[in-house]
Amino acid sequence: MDYLVVFLVLVVFLQTRVTDLKRAVVCLASQSVIIAIACFVIGFSHGNDIHAVMPGVLTLIVKVIFIPGAVYRLVQKLKNEREIVSASNVNYSTMAAALFLVMGYALVERLMPGAAGRDIVASSILMIMTGLSLMVLRKRAIIQICGLITLENGIYLLGLLMTEGLPLVVELGVFLDVLIAVVVLVILTSRMRLSFMTTDTSVMKKLKG
Amino acid sequence: MDFMEMSLLVYLLGTVTLVWPKKAELGAHYFGMLCSIVASGMVVFSSLNYLLSSGSRWLIDLSWGQYSLQADGWSGAFLLLTGVAGVIISIYALDYGKGYLGSRIRALGGLWNLFLLSIVLVLISGDAFTFIVSWEIMALVSFMLVNHESEKKKTLSAAYQYMVMTHIGTAAIMVAFYLVGSSADSFSFADMARNSLYGYMRNAAFVFAFAGFALKSGLMPLHIWLPNAHPAAPSHVSALMSGVMLKVALYGFGRFAFQFIGMDVFWYGLIVMIMGLVSAFLGVLYATMEVDMKRILAYSSVENMGIIFSAFGCGMVLYSMNFPMLSVVAFTAALVHAFSHSLMKGLLFMSAGCVMHATGSKNIEHMGGLAKKMPYTALFTLIGCMALSSMPFTSGLVGEWLTLQSFITLAQQAGSPEMRLLVVFAFIMLGLTGATALGCFVRMYGIAFLGRARTHIVEKAHEMPFFMLAGLGLEAVLIVLVGVMPDLLVNLMQKVVSGTGITPMGNPLGIMWGGSGYYALYSPALIFIVFALIGVFVVASIYGSATFQAKEVTWNCGTVPTSRQQYSATGFSKPLRRAFDGILNPKRRTTYLRKEHAYFGRKLHYELSIPDLFNDKLYKPLQQMLINSSSSFHRIQEGSVSIYIGYTMVAMIVVLIWGVLL
Repeated sequence: MDYLVVFLVLVVFLQTRVTDLKRAVVCLASQSVIIAIACFVIGFSHGNDIHAVMPGVLTLIVKVIFIPGAVYRLVQKLKNEREIVSASNVNYSTMAAALFLVMGYALVERLMPGAAGRDIVASSILMIMTGLSLMVLRKRAIIQICGLITLENGIYLLGLLMTEGLPLVVELGVFLDVLIAVVVLVILTSRMRLSFMTTDTSVMKKLKG
Repeated sequence: MDFMEMSLLVYLLGTVTLVWPKKAELGAHYFGMLCSIVASGMVVFSSLNYLLSSGSRWLIDLSWGQYSLQADGWSGAFLLLTGVAGVIISIYALDYGKGYLGSRIRALGGLWNLFLLSIVLVLISGDAFTFIVSWEIMALVSFMLVNHESEKKKTLSAAYQYMVMTHIGTAAIMVAFYLVGSSADSFSFADMARNSLYGYMRNAAFVFAFAGFALKSGLMPLHIWLPNAHPAAPSHVSALMSGVMLKVALYGFGRFAFQFIGMDVFWYGLIVMIMGLVSAFLGVLYATMEVDMKRILAYSSVENMGIIFSAFGCGMVLYSMNFPMLSVVAFTAALVHAFSHSLMKGLLFMSAGCVMHATGSKNIEHMGGLAKKMPYTALFTLIGCMALSSMPFTSGLVGEWLTLQSFITLAQQAGSPEMRLLVVFAFIMLGLTGATALGCFVRMYGIAFLGRARTHIVEKAHEMPFFMLAGLGLEAVLIVLVGVMPDLLVNLMQKVVSGTGITPMGNPLGIMWGGSGYYALYSPALIFIVFALIGVFVVASIYGSATFQAKEVTWNCGTVPTSRQQYSATGFSKPLRRAFDGILNPKRRTTYLRKEHAYFGRKLHYELSIPDLFNDKLYKPLQQMLINSSSSFHRIQEGSVSIYIGYTMVAMIVVLIWGVLL
């Protein structure tokens, strides 16, 4: 489990540094793989029935295969697209991520000193905040989608740890939610590419009345 | 099924004109007006029923769950004036409304009925929900009626100003109802009367209620919608708005003062009284400056509502000083003046409608000599003007005199010298108001109806059709009737506020203090005797001596006087403008259009405008502040989604840090 957390933090930090869209999607997929493994670990530590396998399988299908696949297909259609930003912006997101990590640990120390899953809680806070900061600081729609999924993964991980397995219906609902959100976002992004020839969200300001 | 419920149904039937087929527009108009006449007649009958039976118990009692209808003596008094005004103004509108043929006359008829219906519903609502809902319907319908001639830009802006102001008022009233209702755990009036408000909450409830109702009744400084909305509306609508709707606000405030909040706090009454006095004086002062007939009348409504509220406030003060018997006189004065103001303001707005109908103008500077063209209208208008300047033998004097009387009693009973000084000051203000009102209506009547025609629009003026004159005539007859026999009205009204009916007793000789019945508060009979004595004296001194009569042309330095040399309305009010320069702040601008020669042939253009004191000093800065604050809000509302997400993130971080530090 500790190794998983180390990898997770590594992937999240990597994600704040990536500017190439394809790599961002790969990062996202690998992050989701780690979440899925975490699901299996937590699931098998509590029991051996279908409920233990289900979250992990769902994560694999939805977050590792389907969502990154859809985004990847979209990215392949985009030619010459990079997150063209000054390096300072990337550095700011990494710095923010570092701060969030410290904050997460400080929070865990305060709220539940000596708890078993303190590393996981801290890393999920890191993921939630980093996802938000990706959505705020970056301009490309694809990276913002990645940010949303990262946020979602963070919440999911935290929920999984806290509740030790949600009811199946709730989990299905959560996955459906994310799925639909991403489908809508992917459609919107491809429409945006058609209309504006770019996925830079700052051009959307032109639409304001 | 009694008259009250039937009248509601008939009003509802009258709204059918909204969906009447377009081909029979005139039929729709007649149908609507007949419905409102019949229904208002029923309202008069049922209100007399409420007034004649003892005042305190509930007389109709219908309820559907949360909603209930109830009426007592206090609503009866206002139902009476609503019914009377409804009947008479609807008769007038039978002919006047025909002027709107082809321009949404069906809507006018339907909304007219709906307006009356909502007023009646406000007056008989038995709980806060019904009250607020009908109050809101009343506001919206009157907004639509004000906005009837929406092609004119001025009308549109006046209507929207009215809309905004009236909703601010409604908001204040809702807060007041909420405060009282939540302390009583119920919103029905009967339960709300047993509320347990005290201290700050009660003060807040009073302030909100007073602000809301004062706004609707046009007390200064909340009056600014009134002089714009009344001229914009069709004349019969402004007659009803000024005559009845403003009084409905007094009804609501009375309900709060008598039942919910109580009157035992001294400064409540003092605030009401002072605000009433200020708007009485300033209202009539601004009225004297205007040249638009309907704006004169609108400002005069501010004045009269001021008098009514100052009488009411005086009653509240007397009650809080533990003189309930004396306070009854003041409350009676408020009710009597409310009734007579609804008569005279209805009459004068209708006559302004007649003048507009005849000449097509509202500006009295363009008129003159109308009395020759339309003698009956002139006669009835004269009676209305006399009543508004409180001449004897008209209803206007009764209420105002009773108000003065209650101020005198207040001065006698005042506990401290400061209070006595204040009341004397109030007395002076009221006297000044009366004198200025006299000047104002002499000016309005004299400039518009007497003298010689100033412009050619007077040439084509003609006498009004029958129903319009009938409306004016009925109001005039009622005004004189109340003026000559005030006991009819006073006995009805004082029973409402006292319940027992002792203090101001009316008998055919006049209105007496209670008990012995020897000391008169107000007696038209005595005034008549005085007038008769003076008359006899004058006739006797002239009789027998040689009298002669000669008719000469006015001497004008050898030239024939033209109509341009008459007193103009602006000139007539000049001395007053000079005297109150500090308050009025008139802006004068003289422009020389052409200057060919140093002395003759110069064309002048003279412009005079009186800015509204409160508009400049209170509302403009307020508006500016609002705009500034919204533009500073705009800075954080950039419209970029990522910044909004950023706000969410910052909020989350703050919460997390808070969690860490706690």
